[in-house]
Amino acid sequence: MNVEYRIASESSVILYFGHTIDAAVSDKVYQAYAALKRSAHPAFLEIAPSYASLMVGFNSVRYDFQTTCRLIQSFLEDAPHIDAREQKVVTIPVYYAQEVGWDLEALALEKRMSIEAIVALHTQTTYRVYAIGFAPGFAYLGQTDERLETARLANPRKAVPKGSVAIADRQSAVYPAKSPGGWKILGRTPIAMFDASYPGLSFVHVGDAVRFEAISQERFLALGGEL
Amino acid sequence: MSQKHVGFTVLKGGVQSTIQDSGRIGFCDIGLTQSGAMDETAFGYANKLAGNAFNTPVVEIALGGLALVSTCKQTVAITGADMHPTLNSEPIGMWQTHRLEKDDVIRFGFASKGQFAYLSVAGGFKTPFAYGSFSTSVKEGLGGIDGRKLIEGDFLPTQGTCLPLKRRLPSVLIPSYSDEAVLRVVKGYQEALFDARAHETFFTTTYRYKGEGDRMGYRLCGEKIVPSVTGILSEPICYGAIQIPSHGEPIVLLKERQTIGGYPKIGSVIAVDCFKLAQLNVGGSIRFQSVTPEEARAEALAFRARFTF
Repeated sequence: MNVEYRIASESSVILYFGHTIDAAVSDKVYQAYAALKRSAHPAFLEIAPSYASLMVGFNSVRYDFQTTCRLIQSFLEDAPHIDAREQKVVTIPVYYAQEVGWDLEALALEKRMSIEAIVALHTQTTYRVYAIGFAPGFAYLGQTDERLETARLANPRKAVPKGSVAIADRQSAVYPAKSPGGWKILGRTPIAMFDASYPGLSFVHVGDAVRFEAISQERFLALGGEL
Repeated sequence: MSQKHVGFTVLKGGVQSTIQDSGRIGFCDIGLTQSGAMDETAFGYANKLAGNAFNTPVVEIALGGLALVSTCKQTVAITGADMHPTLNSEPIGMWQTHRLEKDDVIRFGFASKGQFAYLSVAGGFKTPFAYGSFSTSVKEGLGGIDGRKLIEGDFLPTQGTCLPLKRRLPSVLIPSYSDEAVLRVVKGYQEALFDARAHETFFTTTYRYKGEGDRMGYRLCGEKIVPSVTGILSEPICYGAIQIPSHGEPIVLLKERQTIGGYPKIGSVIAVDCFKLAQLNVGGSIRFQSVTPEEARAEALAFRARFTF
């Protein structure tokens, strides 16, 4: 595997697997992330994946940069490949409607398509979790259908409701908690994206496959959604 | 006295007082920030004086204004920025322990030097543990007391432990919070995206801290430097990372930084110098100095040895 190792700080190294947003690069990141997590080696304190890179925070009292890089390399070489097709697909139910999808109408005008067509395009894609950041459990999902590619709001909202399903550029995301935000909102999910009761705390993890499923207002409310 | 009333009641929360330990490690992959004490040197001494293990939760007082009343006999220690603490309205010393009686009141004024003070208690604060740490992240609403800063009426449980002897940190070990800081930097990340001139500017400029900072990071003012690109693919950000946004002035990312971001970084300030930066007075000056990863590691080892983990 062609991986570039660079120093990030005296106690962290960053690995680059490429420099683009695409599934093949992300898959390499995921394979490495999974291999290092599985190793449970005490040298690795923090294993943080993103689109094309993986940062490893290491115990600098016990290990130096060179030793850590060699350790990482050995775990990556020995790692069995996890077939992405065997991964389960996580489904996120979404109530797509103007009462919760505050930017649906403007987007329909911008794209000259119906709201139904937008929902159809958003639900037909299988997304991949490229990274989690910005807020606990905030997953960057790619790639949104190119026909839905859109800029962020010129004036970000001070408060985006919890569970809002939104798009920006060619990415989709769910706001795990009420927060400021500039992504365009299509709908809302009743699912909690981040919850202390989940074994992994976050509803989705880097490398997961995700699909959105359109649900009715009735179903949204039945699942605990709030308008 | 019933166990549940052993501790402190907050009379005034101050600007931003929070429960902190050395931070939340291992949850970056689901978006949780590190958080933790902004100055681990003062934090470490606070715990050492109180007879605690290094990573015991304390109260971090940002800028000042905290007041609390002890509900039992117990020993505390105060370190960090001098906020002119008083015990029942009498001034008390910093960098030492104090034995409190029931109903004793500790008040902090406002920092004349430094930004963060630390209040430790023998046996530690018995606040909730969340995701591997006691640290509060106000931004995320996690840890500490309901994920927020302390407010009037909060109760902070402790063990009600008294130390038999008074302890004081030898004066040679007490840090001085000066108006000048030299921060050592390990070059890394996108250093190659900065040309020779940018590197030279970065390492020869005297930057100034004008107070544009919080637990997330400090923005510095001075000579602008320009990377060859304005943005990169979002990637994980480590403690001390120096990012250069398009305005060209460095931002040093500290304990409550965002976990990923898309600005180019020239390298990272070593941890022990991040602690110094956190305490720098508003208006203070900063110079950066390049060190090798080996030198940086030697500093980390020395820090570790000082607190005999």
